[in-house]
Amino acid sequence: MHRRRWLLQLVLRALAHRRGRTLLLLAVLAMASSLATALGIVSFSMEKRVAEEVRKYGANLIVIPETARLDVGSGGLNFGVIAEPAYLQQQQVAEALSRSALKAERSFHLRGALHWKDADLMVDGVNFDDIRRLFPWWQLKGNWPAAGETVVGHDLATRLGLKLGDTMELAGKARMLRLRVSGIVTSGGEEDALLFLALPELQQALGLEGQLTLVRLMVTAGGDSLKQSAAALQQLLPAAKVNEVRQTARTSEGLLAKVKLLMIMVTAVVLISAGSSVTGTMSTTVLERGKEIGLMKAVGGTRWEVMLIFCGEAALLGVLGGLAGYLLGSAIAQFITRTVFSASAEFIPWIAGVSLAVSLFLALLGSIGPMISVFKLDPVRSLRGE
Amino acid sequence: MLFRMLKNSFLKRPKAVFLVFLSIAMGAAVATAFLGIAGEVSHKMALELRSYGANILLEPSAVEGGGFLREEDLPKIKTVFWKYNITGFTPYLFGVAEFSAGGRRERGVVSGTWFSKQLEVPGEGSSVQGIKGIAPWWEVQGRWPEAADEAIVGAALARRLKLAPGAEVAALVRGRSQQFRVSGIVTTGGFEEEQLFAPLVTVQELLQQQGKVSRVLVSALTVPMDEFGKKDPALMTKDEFEKWYCTAYVTSIAKNVEEVMAGSRAKPIWQIASAEGALLTKLNSVMLLLTLLALGASATAVSTSLMASIAERSPEIALMKAVGADRFQITAIFIGETLIISVCGGVVGYLIGDQLAELISRLVFNSTIVSPLWLFPTALISAFVVALAGSVAPLRRALLIEPVRVLKG
Repeated sequence: MHRRRWLLQLVLRALAHRRGRTLLLLAVLAMASSLATALGIVSFSMEKRVAEEVRKYGANLIVIPETARLDVGSGGLNFGVIAEPAYLQQQQVAEALSRSALKAERSFHLRGALHWKDADLMVDGVNFDDIRRLFPWWQLKGNWPAAGETVVGHDLATRLGLKLGDTMELAGKARMLRLRVSGIVTSGGEEDALLFLALPELQQALGLEGQLTLVRLMVTAGGDSLKQSAAALQQLLPAAKVNEVRQTARTSEGLLAKVKLLMIMVTAVVLISAGSSVTGTMSTTVLERGKEIGLMKAVGGTRWEVMLIFCGEAALLGVLGGLAGYLLGSAIAQFITRTVFSASAEFIPWIAGVSLAVSLFLALLGSIGPMISVFKLDPVRSLRGE
Repeated sequence: MLFRMLKNSFLKRPKAVFLVFLSIAMGAAVATAFLGIAGEVSHKMALELRSYGANILLEPSAVEGGGFLREEDLPKIKTVFWKYNITGFTPYLFGVAEFSAGGRRERGVVSGTWFSKQLEVPGEGSSVQGIKGIAPWWEVQGRWPEAADEAIVGAALARRLKLAPGAEVAALVRGRSQQFRVSGIVTTGGFEEEQLFAPLVTVQELLQQQGKVSRVLVSALTVPMDEFGKKDPALMTKDEFEKWYCTAYVTSIAKNVEEVMAGSRAKPIWQIASAEGALLTKLNSVMLLLTLLALGASATAVSTSLMASIAERSPEIALMKAVGADRFQITAIFIGETLIISVCGGVVGYLIGDQLAELISRLVFNSTIVSPLWLFPTALISAFVVALAGSVAPLRRALLIEPVRVLKG
């Protein structure tokens, strides 16, 4: 016990005596472990954040009635539906979605034709709250519609000469609708040629209460799990067809994998090179203490004891540096995710362990390496300063 | 004298010199690798994002759903001001046809297009354009069409007609019929599943629309839209318009392409363009912040290791002073040492960092990068400056000490 206290005393006094050097080493170790922490946290939250960003590319699953056929077209062109119309039951779809426990944003659509003046217009009944979440790329001139209002696609508006605030009377199979144009939408896609109104209003006008033609889903899942989600949903909806939109689904997977790989590589590069730099500094400070080691040996310290003293010092520095580095690194990670993604960084408990381990490892590696070479020295020669 | 002292200082304490050298080389390597990839990453990511599909749609301006563009105008797309930003384009010609195969009859859409066409443009290099380039998400079971009478059939249409690769299908349009051999079945989850895709020439013949196309999809590298980009070009002053036209916004590239295609109207596909812009902005700022972090960290590491190595040598400095060296001579020796080590460290670090950047780029993006030329002198000079910054403080302190006290121990 006495002996252990004496050793502890020696370690503490040695650190306190060379205050400048101790602070320098602490700073370097803290820097290395804060790098590890910050990069670790950023890499891990990166994947989630980028996944969120990628969702802006739109829905990755669509549900259509089994007997219906997909609209025909490519890119922006839509030829309309070729087969006779078929419908999904809104109730059924909603139930299936809640039973499947999928984490998904959804948007219900009912596509149909309304008569205006001499022509039939393609209209889409939607829930505008869903649209705002699932279609963030809509460029809307005017306002989002309230009840009794409508949003018109840009091309359609140009063709029909419609302006904001115009009122139009549309005839459906079941009843007439009087709608005011509250906004004009540009998307570059098929939306430009459609007229949008609230889903219940269109269902009533067409006499199709509770019916849908299309459900778009944005499922938070990547890789095979998206395919599995589609299969699971298909089981619950035998009357429908669940399609994976490859354009968004597959590309997102590839992109996420790349971002993840990039972050890992960057982290590895920084850690290895900063680590070897820190180890170098640590070694320099041990090398310069050859005289001290010689003295310890001369007064009868065994190799083991000398090793213990130096490792104790290194470990103490490592732990303190690791703690400081964890705090600093978390702050840096927080700053990065806040400025870039305006979201707070995730709290990952095991990163603290990594940060401590990095700092301890570097400190011990830096002192043990040179010490082995110092041991080879003859105490007499090192005391004489040769 | 100075030279001899420097030489011996390196030869007599190889370990200490090596440690400083190591730390400078590593610092320079990180800096080089980061600066090397930081510039490239945004470009590479932009290219990566192009696999989400075309971001500009060209359609005939005349009539909604009708009218045609001229096929002969297509090569001009490769000659516009923004030609290097246009990574690919594909023309489409659509028509409704009656398909019959094995006694089944179905109505569907026949699309003429380019799959991967070698395009020679006078004055420009040749390039390959077509669906294969701009729609990498197409999952083709079988192979891509090679002959003029081969076609790819959408999965849904193929299911209805009971088609498999190798089967024959006839398309009938207004009394003209054309026999196609199915070379592949395509799954996309989109509109394409209801269509039959055949080479453009064949479909033009079938529809009697020689030299015409109905849509062109263009895939272009763009910069994210900012406040200025959102302004209406029609309301801009001449200078503003010029600045807008010379920035690779999706709207200005669309305008650029529209000008060379007679009778066309170009629309940005906002679903793709706006998501891409948002994602690129964020990835770029992450890279920028990480680069700053890495540069800061390597500078600190190098400075501190210099500090540690000079501080241990105060007895040496005291001895030099005692034998009559003035401040200038001592500084010259130490700066000389720092210069030599940091130049060597900088060169080695640059070489390592260059390899690292190359490795990252190859592993992540499957492509090589060319480090910019300015990076080499930058790596050397910054290694020296950072090392110097680290040695100034301890050197000044060492110069202030009284030789007698240090020599006494």
